[in-house]
Amino acid sequence: MSDLHDMQQRFMDYLLDESTTIVDEIESTPMRSAKGRLDIYASAYRLRLKEAITTDYDKLALYLGDERFEKLMDLYIDKFPSHTTNLRYFSTHLPELIRDETDYAHIAEVYELACIERAFADSFDAKDLQFATIDDLAALPEQAWGTLSFKFQKSVQIIWLEHNSFPIWKALAEEHTPPKANKSSATAWILWRKSDLISHYRMLAPEEIAILALAMQGENFAVMCEKLLEFYNEQETPMKAIGFLQSWITEEMLAGFEY
Amino acid sequence: MERPFLGFGLGLRTAHYEHVIENKPQVDWFEIISENYMIPGGKPLAHLDKIRQDYPMVMHGVSMSIGSTDPLNVDYLKKLKTLIDRVEPQWISDHLCWTAVNHVNSHDLLPLPYNEATISHIVDRIKQVQDTIGRQMLIENLSSYVTYNNSEMPEWDFVNEIAKRADCYILLDINNIFVSANNHHFEPQDYINGIDSDRVMQFHLAGHSYNGDMIIDTHDHDVCDPVWSLYEYALGRFGAVSTMIERDDNIPPFEELRQELAIAEKIAAKVLTPQQLHISNKSSLGVA
Repeated sequence: MSDLHDMQQRFMDYLLDESTTIVDEIESTPMRSAKGRLDIYASAYRLRLKEAITTDYDKLALYLGDERFEKLMDLYIDKFPSHTTNLRYFSTHLPELIRDETDYAHIAEVYELACIERAFADSFDAKDLQFATIDDLAALPEQAWGTLSFKFQKSVQIIWLEHNSFPIWKALAEEHTPPKANKSSATAWILWRKSDLISHYRMLAPEEIAILALAMQGENFAVMCEKLLEFYNEQETPMKAIGFLQSWITEEMLAGFEY
Repeated sequence: MERPFLGFGLGLRTAHYEHVIENKPQVDWFEIISENYMIPGGKPLAHLDKIRQDYPMVMHGVSMSIGSTDPLNVDYLKKLKTLIDRVEPQWISDHLCWTAVNHVNSHDLLPLPYNEATISHIVDRIKQVQDTIGRQMLIENLSSYVTYNNSEMPEWDFVNEIAKRADCYILLDINNIFVSANNHHFEPQDYINGIDSDRVMQFHLAGHSYNGDMIIDTHDHDVCDPVWSLYEYALGRFGAVSTMIERDDNIPPFEELRQELAIAEKIAAKVLTPQQLHISNKSSLGVA
């Protein structure tokens, strides 16, 4: 099959704008030359990939405007040929491209907006797990608390932002003029999908992200309480820790317990 | 084997999920794009499960890349099998094309040269796929815009030979025949006359767009009159074949599409007897 393989590689090279040797293997007709016929595929290739990127990053597209977003998509398509069978995953490296290889490296909200949109996409179709309940928590045996750790929903994502990127994203989503980008101290946001199948998000207080990060790494409840001592006194800490745990359950972030 | 007849279906699209779930419109079956549901979880799968409770389904893939010279994508086939187990479709289909080479994916349905070497290559791969998923599949004819210099036979002979040797079935896209006939200067009726009737299991209908004097398979318009005429001709040749309309862009409200599907039903009622149009969807195709 080496002839067919070589032909397919030459065809792909044409789509990727790397070589035109395939032209000699295609019939020209009075209706359309071989090159004109191949160009139908080449145009469709870029158009289809751009549609996929725009679907995943539609707020970023609005924020940048047509011309700049078009340029960004062209760069992405050139740098990241698709290695996935599912277009849903094609645009996954766009935030990294923005951060590492574009003029937007010094316009941090552009990278952050891309991170937010990718997090929404990843949360949207993350694996379904059951939701832990307060009753499940209450039913834990007393000895469980010594080693208790937590299993989070696959849709849970933490994003660190140094700008008001979520308000910008929200304004764009509601088709309002976005606020001016402002740098602030780094804040953590959590984004996850509830049982209503809709993705939700909120900001995390410093003490909450401190223990949430530990919990998501698989650390146990005792370690989390120890961390909370940096924020609260010994009397307050256990109730605060239980409070966070209960809110993660009622907000449908937790899938279960391990001990 | 007697051809199962599902009746008249539509492509299930995101824009219509809520309408279908709330109103349970009268449609005999739905075709899903397999890749849209080859994901871990979330809303698309939840909607799919709900709608599957009320309608028979078939699965239609766009990424098997059966004609590629890359090894068959084992991960893709595993995910496909998982989805088959979930949906329990009447049958599954993909395109007689290649989409990727050296693991770079074009996300397009790229044509193949019609010759013996390509036939042998694809027959082996279809057999591997059918062994892996444990059932026979359907292969669909493309719309195409190029002809390779090393093609040695008409497309319909190529399709027949593969279906016969791989022991699979044919999803005949009537619009694709019309599009390719225009772009490659053959008579669409010759294509239909040339296809082995015993292998045809499903029809696709769709709209298209013009690019100068070439036609592009865009699925963004209503089915046009010449394609309806060709559909009527195909029904006369093949008898009752499960028929659906594909719409992927410029998607109208569900009821508009439903009305378009009624045109297919009306044409079939004109060409075929009520006995021929009796729906027989009790068994899934080729399940081992």
